[in-house]
Amino acid sequence: MRKYFVLALFLLFTILSLLSACNGSFDAKYERYYADGSQIYKVHCQNCHMAAGKGLARLIPPLTDTTYLKSNREKLACFIVYGLNDSIRINGIDYEGKMPAEKHLAAIDLAKVLTYITNSFGNNQGIYDVKEVEQNLNTCQ
Amino acid sequence: MKFNIFKISFIITGLFLAACSNQNKKLPILGEREPIQKIVDGKTVVDTIYKTIPDFNFMNQDSVMINNQSLQNSIYIADFFFTSCPSICPIMSKNMLDIYNKYKGNEEVKFLSHTIDPKHDTIPVLKKYASKLGVDGKQWSFVLGEKEAVYKIAKDGYMNYAATDDKAPGGFIHSGYFLLIDKEKRVRGAYDGTQEIQVKQLMEDMDLLLKEYKSKK
Repeated sequence: MRKYFVLALFLLFTILSLLSACNGSFDAKYERYYADGSQIYKVHCQNCHMAAGKGLARLIPPLTDTTYLKSNREKLACFIVYGLNDSIRINGIDYEGKMPAEKHLAAIDLAKVLTYITNSFGNNQGIYDVKEVEQNLNTCQ
Repeated sequence: MKFNIFKISFIITGLFLAACSNQNKKLPILGEREPIQKIVDGKTVVDTIYKTIPDFNFMNQDSVMINNQSLQNSIYIADFFFTSCPSICPIMSKNMLDIYNKYKGNEEVKFLSHTIDPKHDTIPVLKKYASKLGVDGKQWSFVLGEKEAVYKIAKDGYMNYAATDDKAPGGFIHSGYFLLIDKEKRVRGAYDGTQEIQVKQLMEDMDLLLKEYKSKK
């Protein structure tokens, strides 16, 4: 009886520690994505969308519209790679300016910068995995 | 009595120090200069000719001609941009907007943004850009001129740089400087318009320059 109890305890302990390790590595991946993403943001996005993601008056849209970013999550990678020519409505304001294409960014960099954007400026969407980006890029119009 | 002497000498030292620091705080005059000899009252004196902004005629977003005459009695900041610029212009516009908002309503301060893409940036395009940026009134002019004339004044007048380049993002290259021009049309400072620290310095220098004219009156 006691043997079983010890075994059960041991099993439980193993499972728990495995789970926490899993969790830990997930967090580490997110942290890495986020940190790298902030650097990519500085180089490729910040000149227009600004350090605080506020954009520029009615010329360049801010990245603070959490609803827009959430409901258009699967289009975000396409926006960055192919740019935008149509006007979009952000926080109730129409923005008409063109967004330049950033075709040279690799999927992993897109994943990192999107992780940064969708978890900064008031957004809180969690990690944007590279697999998700690859999937989304196949559906670009 | 002793105390009084101490007090007076203290005040005098203070005055001297104030005078010194005031003199130190004058902005330099940039650009080439040449001495000339003039005859005043039968005596030969040496005077200095400073580099000034040459004459120009550019049209702004409200179809008003802007030139040295329309800018008289005000100091101004000049820069070079184009509305479809994907690289450094937005951050420059943002920083310029901060300065504009600080001096909004002050008739002694004006702003002059030259487009270096006259083909695309027509008057209506400039007007739209200005109003979307939140700029109205006469203080900030977005001006359109002949391409050659704008590039020439950038180089010869503002000691700046603008050119076309197919390889650059947007098709043009230009430096991101803000030039501070005084009422005598002399360049008194050049600041990197993409750097917040330098923009702060520019605002401090503008206050100094305005003070210079106040004390002259």
